[in-house]
Amino acid sequence: MNALFGSSRLSRNLIATAAWLCYVFLLLPSLIVIPISFGNPGQIEFPPRQFTLALYQQFFTDQAWWGSMVQSLLVATVTTMLTLVLAVPAAYALVRSQLPRRNLLRGLFMMPMLVPVIVLGLGLYLQFSNWGLLDTTTGLVLSHIMLTTPFIMVSVMSGLHHSDVSLETVASIMGASRPVIFFRVVLPQLKASIAVGALFAFLMSLDEVVVAYFLTGTKAMTLPVKMYSSIRWELTPVLAAVSTLLTLLSLLIALGIIALQRKTEANP
Amino acid sequence: MAQSGTASELSLPSALMLLAPLTLLMLAILVYPLALTVWTSVYPGQFSLQAYTELLSSTLFLKVLKNTFEISLSGTLVSLLVGYPVAMHLAAQPPSRRTAYLIMVMLPFWTSILVKSFALAAVFGNQGLVNQLLGFVSGGQINLPMMFNRVGVILGMINFLLPFMILSILGSLLAQDRTLILAAETMGAKPLRIFWKITLPLSLPGVVAGVLINITLSIGMYITPALLGGRQDMMVANLVDFYTRQTLDWTAASATAVVLLLISGLLVALLGKVRGASGLSGAVA
Repeated sequence: MNALFGSSRLSRNLIATAAWLCYVFLLLPSLIVIPISFGNPGQIEFPPRQFTLALYQQFFTDQAWWGSMVQSLLVATVTTMLTLVLAVPAAYALVRSQLPRRNLLRGLFMMPMLVPVIVLGLGLYLQFSNWGLLDTTTGLVLSHIMLTTPFIMVSVMSGLHHSDVSLETVASIMGASRPVIFFRVVLPQLKASIAVGALFAFLMSLDEVVVAYFLTGTKAMTLPVKMYSSIRWELTPVLAAVSTLLTLLSLLIALGIIALQRKTEANP
Repeated sequence: MAQSGTASELSLPSALMLLAPLTLLMLAILVYPLALTVWTSVYPGQFSLQAYTELLSSTLFLKVLKNTFEISLSGTLVSLLVGYPVAMHLAAQPPSRRTAYLIMVMLPFWTSILVKSFALAAVFGNQGLVNQLLGFVSGGQINLPMMFNRVGVILGMINFLLPFMILSILGSLLAQDRTLILAAETMGAKPLRIFWKITLPLSLPGVVAGVLINITLSIGMYITPALLGGRQDMMVANLVDFYTRQTLDWTAASATAVVLLLISGLLVALLGKVRGASGLSGAVA
């Protein structure tokens, strides 16, 4: 097992030490917010000298905080559902047809992942100020559908490549119509990859800052935008409570995705 | 697999019908705003390239461009130097334990960038955990400035970049033929020599891809320099925001955004050449 870099004990220990320092550096920021969030409500303190729920109380009694969290959950939920409705049929059509130049369309659907998000933020800002969509939930959801499309595409297209085409052929030969095949044969096989894509899209939308910062003001403000301005201007300890809630949510979603991916790998 | 005419294949009209809604949305919400940005940069009333000539003679823009490359390249370099030993450590683990370590590596990838920025400010700030520890060890008051300056940006950046670098290098380490190393050992080669002559050269494709992914991801960074850097650490993305919100100069903002788009387009194309078309998507998904 150590064949990769020889058998010297010294080099192995050096590498292990360096690696563990790095693991701590990667993990620490996500975990340290948890103890801080139960500590002193007056200032950010680690290690905390008392145990209170005061910061959570502050979060849930301040409308500006929990209101933006409700808004974020709403935007992420609507975005995920609409992206699924648009992207799953499109992925199916890309994989199961001989449409000429379909690579061009695939490139278009993947593009949001490759363009710096600040450029998209500025473009949408210019566009929505003409269209009267600035600081509206509609405008924000539209741009989040665009941003999350590549992630659902990647997941569903790989699911389609792994699914059994012959089942569709058999259904078709036995006289099933195209919609029946899609809903009764294709979709059931894609359940796990659709769920992975959906969880990913939900998390992306929930955490998205830059575009939301450009497009929203006081009315449609999401939690990340509220957090961004709070870190920038006041650095209040309430942030630790918000961060803990967000980290737990991300962790749940990540575990869900890992479990689902295991399942798809186990029975392809 | 699906040859033309087989029963599982979609007819062209139904394929078009399924693709039309998403295509229209992408044209309206992705292509149109990008085109509008280019248009705004060259048409402030009439056609002119003045915004670009002004950028090139603006000391602010040139300084920010220099910052951007400096920060992006040094962040990538640190990420490579830190990430390589981690990838080696992971490659040497038995598969089950490797999965557990990989989850630790991937955790930052799942955590909101705002949570990470806030936490890094708490850990590395003036009264943060690291300064407390240093003070405790040395027995005095230590206020090493590691936040709201260049060091802060780099720390925030490598926390974000490391998972991509590690996964990329790990891929090419795991793909190596280990009998080569056994053979070299049998013939009496020392570990350091084995590393320089076998492990490192064979892992270069992963290194190159990891470096390109890191530069591409860091060149357009906005949140990290804004929250963890000082006023001297503005990057191109922050300049776009500055022109848009502070000076309300949409022409300059658009021209700056177009420059950033071109730079990152070049990088993505380069990455595509190195890794095949799925370069970035493979790293992200």
